[in-house]
Amino acid sequence: MDPPQTKASTPAIATPATNGAGAGAPAPPPSSTSTQTTPAGTTPPARALQRQRPAPKPRDKFYFQSLGPSATFNVKQARVLMVGAGGIGCELLKNLVLTGFGEIEVVDLDTIDLSNLNRQFLFRHEHIKKSKALVAKEAAQAFNPQVNIVAHHANIKDSQFNVRWFRGFTLVFNALDNLEARRHVNWMCLAADVPLIESGTTGFNGNVQVIKKGVTACYDCTEKPVPKSFPVCTIRSTPSQPIHCIVWGKSYLLSEVFGASEDEAAYDHSEDADNAAEIVELKKEAAALREIRESLGTGAFPQLLFDKVFNADIVRLASMEDVWKSRKKPQPLDYRTLLERSSSALASKEQILRDDQRCWSLEENLVVFIDSLDRLSKRMLELKKAHQGASGPEPVIEFDKDDVDTLDFVAAAANIRSAVFGIEPKSRFDIKEMAGNIIPAIATTNAIVASLSVLQAFKVLRGEFQQTKELFLAPSNLNRLIGYTRYSLPNPDCPVCSVYQTSVFVDLSKATLNDLVDDFVRLQLGYGDKEFAVSNELGPLYDPEETENLPKKLSELGIKGDTYLTVIDEDDEDPFVNVVINIEEATDLVEDKPIKAVAADQKPQIPRRPKKVQPVAVVANGTAPQLNGKRRLEPDAAEPSTKRRRSASEAEEPQAKKAKTAPSGRDDVIVIDDDETGQGVVVLDD
Amino acid sequence: MTEVITQTPPILTGAPSDKERKYDRQLRLWAASGQAALESSHILLVNSGTGTVGIETLKNLVLPGIGKFTIADDAIVRDSDLGVNFFLDEDGLGKSRAQHCTELLVELNPEVQGDWFPKNGEPLSLPDVLGNEGPYTAVLYALPVHPRCELLLQEYCNQNKTPLIAVHSTGFYADFKITFPGPFPVVETHPDVTATTDLRLLSPWDELIDFARGMTKDIDSLDNHEHGHLPFVVILLHYLDVWKATHNSAYPSTYAEKVAFRKMVSEAARTDNPEGGEENFDEAVAAVLKTVSPPSLPGDVKEVFAYEHDSPIRSSFWIIADAVKEFYEKHGCLPLPGGLPDMKAQSSVYIQLQNIYKRKARRDAAEVFESVRRASGGDAIDPAEVDLFCKNAAFVKLINPKNNDPERLLEVADEELANDEMAKEGIMPPSLFPIYLALRATAYTPSVETSFPEDILKDMMTLVPQLGDQEPYAHERYEQAAQEVIRGASGELHNVSAVMGGMVAQEMIKIITKQYIPINNTCIFDGIGSRCQVLRL
Repeated sequence: MDPPQTKASTPAIATPATNGAGAGAPAPPPSSTSTQTTPAGTTPPARALQRQRPAPKPRDKFYFQSLGPSATFNVKQARVLMVGAGGIGCELLKNLVLTGFGEIEVVDLDTIDLSNLNRQFLFRHEHIKKSKALVAKEAAQAFNPQVNIVAHHANIKDSQFNVRWFRGFTLVFNALDNLEARRHVNWMCLAADVPLIESGTTGFNGNVQVIKKGVTACYDCTEKPVPKSFPVCTIRSTPSQPIHCIVWGKSYLLSEVFGASEDEAAYDHSEDADNAAEIVELKKEAAALREIRESLGTGAFPQLLFDKVFNADIVRLASMEDVWKSRKKPQPLDYRTLLERSSSALASKEQILRDDQRCWSLEENLVVFIDSLDRLSKRMLELKKAHQGASGPEPVIEFDKDDVDTLDFVAAAANIRSAVFGIEPKSRFDIKEMAGNIIPAIATTNAIVASLSVLQAFKVLRGEFQQTKELFLAPSNLNRLIGYTRYSLPNPDCPVCSVYQTSVFVDLSKATLNDLVDDFVRLQLGYGDKEFAVSNELGPLYDPEETENLPKKLSELGIKGDTYLTVIDEDDEDPFVNVVINIEEATDLVEDKPIKAVAADQKPQIPRRPKKVQPVAVVANGTAPQLNGKRRLEPDAAEPSTKRRRSASEAEEPQAKKAKTAPSGRDDVIVIDDDETGQGVVVLDD
Repeated sequence: MTEVITQTPPILTGAPSDKERKYDRQLRLWAASGQAALESSHILLVNSGTGTVGIETLKNLVLPGIGKFTIADDAIVRDSDLGVNFFLDEDGLGKSRAQHCTELLVELNPEVQGDWFPKNGEPLSLPDVLGNEGPYTAVLYALPVHPRCELLLQEYCNQNKTPLIAVHSTGFYADFKITFPGPFPVVETHPDVTATTDLRLLSPWDELIDFARGMTKDIDSLDNHEHGHLPFVVILLHYLDVWKATHNSAYPSTYAEKVAFRKMVSEAARTDNPEGGEENFDEAVAAVLKTVSPPSLPGDVKEVFAYEHDSPIRSSFWIIADAVKEFYEKHGCLPLPGGLPDMKAQSSVYIQLQNIYKRKARRDAAEVFESVRRASGGDAIDPAEVDLFCKNAAFVKLINPKNNDPERLLEVADEELANDEMAKEGIMPPSLFPIYLALRATAYTPSVETSFPEDILKDMMTLVPQLGDQEPYAHERYEQAAQEVIRGASGELHNVSAVMGGMVAQEMIKIITKQYIPINNTCIFDGIGSRCQVLRL
């Protein structure tokens, strides 16, 4: 090996070399390119040429050797955003730092929890409760002082992270654990036209996908599974499965007693109208429960609460004969009787509380119910005492799967309710998983996915989006382990990326709606004499019949910076797709017009609408379109070429085959499903 | 006063331990038994080369909590190491790489012990590390190494029945190979839950038959509520009886018959009720093709039953396997796993049915346990192990390595060259065998910086003489692989080593926990195409 070199020099900017192998490798150094087509034997010695290259810094030696000067330069120049500093994020940050990325910004709103430490290796026990983003930065920075890392302990949906801010990055990595944030970043990257590398893991499964506006499918081009919700009456009146009782314990009982109020997100209200009378009763029940809250902390509280929810409410429910014709009638419980039977369980309380995997008996559940209620009540009283005289919201205790007190309470309450309704009990271990939507997560899978993301980034930095792949870990395919497909094409019916996004600088103190309609939409976007409508999330602003707003200033119409307007082409013949305009506030426009396209030098190419009606996504203020998590593609809408395979495919699409099967020029991907259907895209962990 | 009120849950003696909470997300994959296996393991890493891939692997084993690791590595930390290895920093320059990595790795998890050799600047003595510091649960070494060192490790692992893993990462290329010390059985393979339903509809036992007949003897006179709540298992058993009565006592067996049977069940659903149909009958109809089939013996289980031992000493796995085989030969089916999927039914009825399946599973396991006890060496076997085997009987897997087969490399070469004939036509993705061969040809070369591609190509052709007969297309791919290895200059790319570190640790966890099926036996990774291929070599 060479001794460490002392003289550092900047790699020269080489013209991007094309890779003869067609595999999309980062630029090989000249020695390699020239030998690819040369017969063996006449190959110039690699070593000889190497000596003529500018010498890299000693610590970058291996990178320089393998990546070559041009890719090394690309990497050093890139400004990278990493959203999420959890399981994938920690691995990704390590990889980015050791790949020599020059500028990295990290955003994460989470704090570190004990259960992160089995995989999020930048964190230690002493970091618990601290910001993930800040601690990750500190830990990674130490390893390469030359890298500039900026950390934000903040929500990526905050208004400071607007489209303009996103536009400042070369590349964005998603290392997130939830659908909502993933959708938001997807939308922002489309709006800012910045490439995004999306990834996720769950257990041994994982995936990586490159998203580039107009070239590849976006995150929302395929339907994503949505968190399950239940009809109110199933949870509150007619549970039939353990999960119904667990949701009741967590979203109703715990929230009503210690939280703000019922957790509405857990409910599916589509059947409410059919059960109007019962809904009214349930509201009364909840109000009565809130009254009992007043006795919190007194010795009578456990019995008051128990009698209310496991006796009085049940007696009322059981009296509704109609409901129980086709169901088993619930049996109210008597607190005193049960308590008398629980004396031996009470004696072994500590043992019970340690028993994570065994299902507790009814008596044991009562012991845990009383004990956890006591713990939570004490905590609540302390919180209230600390809060006294202070402004701001009343203290609450919310469910946290890793907070044993809330978990014990929910587990015991759910199991007692199950006993009332003749449903099987569950162990605390299982309840934790069901109540906490726990996704198994391990270091190995995150390590693989994060490093595959960076390998895809090399292609993105070279602009070789056509060479990118969608990668899937395929743990049950023991011949492959990593499955892949060519990148998918955008879904023409995708409500998110089938719209055309553009940005405009607006001097909000001067610009009128007319300026926007005439100067920007008609002239710069090229609508000309077309009939179209302009609206925002509050409703219509302009259409051919609705012209009285035209002279008004945009500020008078309530339009602010970082909001969106939607332009809908009303022509019957070959209309444009919907255009979403991101308003960027600017006060220093040099021209006499108070409105200016952000990319004024480029003629916009707005695609035409496909021959079907598109669903219109509602664009809310400053956030990505809300899809209600219920969007379904029309069954006939998706072309085979844009459908994501549900499982990791074994087949690559070699170039030759493509030419054969796609004479029409459409990219038809051959789908060879392996045997693990249903695997794959459900990836939600950080 | 601030608005933010933090809740700090008090530490309670009765709560799950800190350790359980820390490992919660992985306990859901391999349970307490897998965790215990990890925690009692001791892993040896013999490091070499630029030394990153082995350390990345260890990182992924330290985090989930192996008991102990030992690093044997006589390298000194250099500047160029800092750019690829996260577990080295400037303080370590000029010091022992093994020691410095160990110190930073144990910081990741205070529950893991780490040790390193050589100490005090002495020369590394691998025989001492192997002989005095073990026993090791698994041994991992990074290539390139000296062949003598490799031989020592192979001898140790062969004698001590220890799995041996070799990993090689250079530039954009990497591979790893697992050498199992003998047949490696896995009981807890964790099949997909949907695959595990075993209802025995075509071989019901008396208790199940009586229960189903009891519910359906007056099926037509049941009221709508009762009829709409017959569990689908009961519905299917009833109509199978009906079918047999009109088909010479034979069950539907061909596809056409099953479709006809399905139609029969479908037509038996009541539609004159307010709902206009019955959910339980829908479930029954949907289950016909999947569940109306005679018990069969999966290929992997056949392999376990057919395995011929060359030594009389049997582990508990083999004693139980023999007992299960005996059970199968007697009853024509494996022990019942005993699970019952969710279905539309009255809760009380569902629980009764669930208990019927559970009781039968317990009886089957008890019968297996009886014959285990009769076998020599069987009296020490834990009934829980027998239960676990019986529950997983249909999914046990035997990895049967055929080590030291000199012909194997040539066989694989022929297969992969034939594959590339099709790859040329665009039918198959090209084989990654050229990468394997280029790495293999340099597995004992400490540095290729003074080599030329043609040297490596020559070594590749020594390993696989057929290469000389290939047409230019195939030949070129081997040439390119040789060039890429030269370009990597025996240095590691952190990202490629990080992928390998994840994949190797994943397989090692499977081996240590004896859960999930590890690959057999060589995995090749191409970091340029982000592709992976497993070959049995």
